[in-house]
Amino acid sequence: MNQALWIAKTGLDAQQTRMSVVSNNLANVNTTGHKKGRAVFEDLIYQTIRQPGAQVTQDAQLPSGLMLGVGVRTVATEKLFQQGSMVLTDNSLDVAIEGRGFFQILLPDGNLGYTRDGTFQLNSEGEVVMSNGYPLQPGLTVPDEALSIMVGEDGTVGVMLPDNPEPQILGQIQLADFINPAGLQPTGKNLFLETAASGAAQEAVPGTNGVGGLIQGMLETSNVNIAEELVNMIETQRSYEANSKALSTADSMIQFANNNLAR
Amino acid sequence: MDRMLYVAMTGAKQTMYAQAVNNHNLANANTHGFRESMAYAYTEPLRGPVYDSRDYVQVANEAIDFSTGAMQTTGRDLDVAIQGDGFLAVQAEDGTEGYTRAGDLHIDGQGIMRLGNGLAVLGDGGPIAIPPAESILIGTDGTITIRPLGGEASGVVAMERLRLVNPPTENLVRGVDGLFRQRDGTNAPADANVRVASGMLETSNVNTVEALTRMMELTRHYETQVKVMSTADNLGKSNNRLLGLS
Repeated sequence: MNQALWIAKTGLDAQQTRMSVVSNNLANVNTTGHKKGRAVFEDLIYQTIRQPGAQVTQDAQLPSGLMLGVGVRTVATEKLFQQGSMVLTDNSLDVAIEGRGFFQILLPDGNLGYTRDGTFQLNSEGEVVMSNGYPLQPGLTVPDEALSIMVGEDGTVGVMLPDNPEPQILGQIQLADFINPAGLQPTGKNLFLETAASGAAQEAVPGTNGVGGLIQGMLETSNVNIAEELVNMIETQRSYEANSKALSTADSMIQFANNNLAR
Repeated sequence: MDRMLYVAMTGAKQTMYAQAVNNHNLANANTHGFRESMAYAYTEPLRGPVYDSRDYVQVANEAIDFSTGAMQTTGRDLDVAIQGDGFLAVQAEDGTEGYTRAGDLHIDGQGIMRLGNGLAVLGDGGPIAIPPAESILIGTDGTITIRPLGGEASGVVAMERLRLVNPPTENLVRGVDGLFRQRDGTNAPADANVRVASGMLETSNVNTVEALTRMMELTRHYETQVKVMSTADNLGKSNNRLLGLS
């Protein structure tokens, strides 16, 4: 089959993927702790139609060969972990991480998930859980009668109890850090999973060992930049159009040959 | 008659190849660091015993346009764009050294610096290993500076330097993996004058408008060749009719 058609098709595929990534970023522009993605492309292998440097005669080389590139492919849709901006919510269970690190969440299957989404809530048992109900690890249980909850920069969680002027310490939030956060596997629900590419999770007290400190009453917004995504969208659309033009042109060339050479 | 048909056929066939090369450029209009290839045609004379009329056409696409692409700011510390001439040296899958202009660097789970497609980036002494770091900065000459995990703001450590080369582009050929290599197979010497900018990526240097124009041009060429082929066919038909025994 005609090579030109298939090359244009790979271009359409790649732009389609990029559009999905851009749409996903835009859709999550208001998702707390969301990290934007980026599609990375690579040129596909080159076919040697005519070997460059082959001998034409005993002492003359072919100056040029024909290396036909066969298109483009998406090698990765990588996550970019730049810090999102902070918004003040004044909710005592909203916690933002200033710097590196992830909150550890116990998944229903017993594994740990990691998130930057610090919108915590209490469930009916007083456990600190994510908005989707998955509990924070190490677990914290806030007593029913607690008047207020304090989260320190180093993750220390304390509560004020009635008739007691001294705050009572419940525990400490630990953060996990990865050598390569971009290697984490996003699973949706604002959660990431550890992979071989991310390296093993290194647990640390907030504010030590390079992980960020915690800020109570704030949330980290998504790091999607709308203007940038819209520019990406325009670029993607134009490339898509160019590739679809290439596809129809290759088609019309074959059509022309068929119509004019057919008996 | 047969010559006319075959000469036109090579023209049409090679135009189709040129179109494929052009489509490959268009498909890679958004590939970081991609360099477009130019499909030139040259004549391949075939002299017969009679009238010198056969000049077959061949497409040569070795020519790569090495002009720089546009710079795109990404704000990511590990994205590097090469300013002006030069290339980043990476280890190809077969272990040899290849050159690229795509600079989306990553640190993998073992701390090895890699490109987005997984190839290890080379430093002065082979692949670069980066210890766990809070931040990684790449200077304009490719020097990597890290702030170790938990380190003081003043405790930055200078690491290795990216291996940046600047071989003459006329000596470069593109391999099947899309990486550039020197024609004679040797590794280019490191060049201290190559400058990089971090937080930026270089886009592909494909000019879409130009490529679309070339596409139309090639289509028309193709149509002309096909026209010649059908004319040759008609001539043959007339011959058969006039000279046929019927």
